[in-house]
Amino acid sequence: MTPIHELSVHNNAQDTMQAPAIQIENLSKWYESFRALTDVNLTIAYGERIVICGPSGSGKSTLIRCINQLEVHQKGRLVVNGVTLVPGMKGLSAIRRDVGMVFQHFNLFPHLTVLDNCTLALRRVRKLDRREAEAVAHANLERVRIPEQADKYPSQLSGGQQQRVAIARALCMKPKVMLFDEPTSALDPEMINEVLDVMTLLAQDGMTMVCVTHEMGFARKVADRIVFMDQGQIVEQAPPSEFFTNPKHERAKLFLKQILH
Amino acid sequence: MKFDFAFAMEIFPQVLQGIGNTILVAIASFIGASVLGFIWEILRRSSRFVRPVAQLWIDAIRSTPVLVQLYFLFFVLPHYGIVLPAMLTGVLGISVYFSGYIAEVFKAGIDAIPRGQSEAASSLGLSRPDTIGYIIMPQMLRNIAAPLGAYSVSILKSTPYLAVLAVPEMLGSAFDVASETYRYAEPMVVAGILFLALAMIGVALVTRLERRLGLTPAKDL
Ligand SMILES: Nc1ncnc2c1ncn2[C@@H]1O[C@H](COP(=O)(O)OP(=O)(O)OP(=O)(O)O)[C@@H](O)[C@H]1O
Ligand SMILES: [Mg+2]
Repeated sequence: MTPIHELSVHNNAQDTMQAPAIQIENLSKWYESFRALTDVNLTIAYGERIVICGPSGSGKSTLIRCINQLEVHQKGRLVVNGVTLVPGMKGLSAIRRDVGMVFQHFNLFPHLTVLDNCTLALRRVRKLDRREAEAVAHANLERVRIPEQADKYPSQLSGGQQQRVAIARALCMKPKVMLFDEPTSALDPEMINEVLDVMTLLAQDGMTMVCVTHEMGFARKVADRIVFMDQGQIVEQAPPSEFFTNPKHERAKLFLKQILH
Repeated sequence: MKFDFAFAMEIFPQVLQGIGNTILVAIASFIGASVLGFIWEILRRSSRFVRPVAQLWIDAIRSTPVLVQLYFLFFVLPHYGIVLPAMLTGVLGISVYFSGYIAEVFKAGIDAIPRGQSEAASSLGLSRPDTIGYIIMPQMLRNIAAPLGAYSVSILKSTPYLAVLAVPEMLGSAFDVASETYRYAEPMVVAGILFLALAMIGVALVTRLERRLGLTPAKDL
């Protein structure tokens, strides 16, 4: 286990400057006979912030879940942090520990305290001892501005707080890439900003981020590139200034009109 | 025949004699049924090829009367050279019968855990065994505590089946009294009350366990 991991870290250290964080070539994915992704091409450099948007069912979740192989693709090439992901491959854990993910419904572990949510993987995967793990956890809870809730259980927190804990939990692993799948769509409106603020801070720290979100204010402010998907394909990619003012594709125009009222 | 309270008190110790075996059989069967049920459920969740076989097996266990299974074990196994003590045969029979139901309890307990839980664990790089041990099992235990408690009472109540294998337990002791004295009301009432008491104690213990599982955080990794 460990050698594979060290090897990948070593490779990354060498290639970080030149190689992209994520390289997707002609990626296709089927659910049974339904084609959810069709020949998707996308390259993301380290430090880049990508926002993926598009109508419901267009394959946004499927795409970012392929990046950490929560969904397995059937066709195409997928390279993450220098490792080529082959469908059904072994040793996914070594790849996933470097790719953080934040889910729409937080997916915190309800039977563990906030602190234990953060330390579990540090101890079991990174093999830190309790003290080291808790130090890392506290630092990251600080980072998401929620240090005082460490001993509570997820159910005792508001939605916004839970999502920030989920972000801290992912950050604890020191991921090279962070994936966000609609991190604010399950939140009450008054809690959306506290989560977006934390994500903005992350972006300012230079984190490589891939965010599926319909928060266009956030996209405009933070994204280097907007990726617009429709029916399993990327139909348009552009910097926010261009995408919002001058979308090329009919579908993108329609989508923007709907979402911006 | 009038119910004779004094007589009931008199025979109480005699009926009580069987209680040790009743408790022993009930606890052993509960453990046996839980372990077997867990194994069936793991098999049902394993490879695509094992799954239908495990499902068929679970259905078969649940669709045959427990008495048929007990007689089968008691009379048929010896033909194939497998001779077990009557008590062990009884425990085995009850364990197997209830394992079919308890497999369903485990299934429901695992199904109730949102898929996002294991996805979150995977996304953190946790291994499959760690995900099962630290994420799935603790949540499953909470989900199954109540239904498992209900089955523990069912198992207790099915221990009298062992009378057919001539294993001395509480109902057997009550029958012994009855056949000696030709009075049925008192021994049956005494046995009934003892079963009720055992069931209530069992329920109280399970409730306590439940409360502990509900409150005790999985602090020790
Ligand atoms: N597990 C699955 N089995 C079958 N079909 C699926 C599965 N997951 C997704 N799909 C289908 O694949 C398509 C893409 O789904 P996906 O969840 O990636 O869309 P999305 O862009 O994230 O949509 P939303 O905005 O609603 O989250 C949809 O048509 C969906 O119905
Ligand atoms: Mg989605």
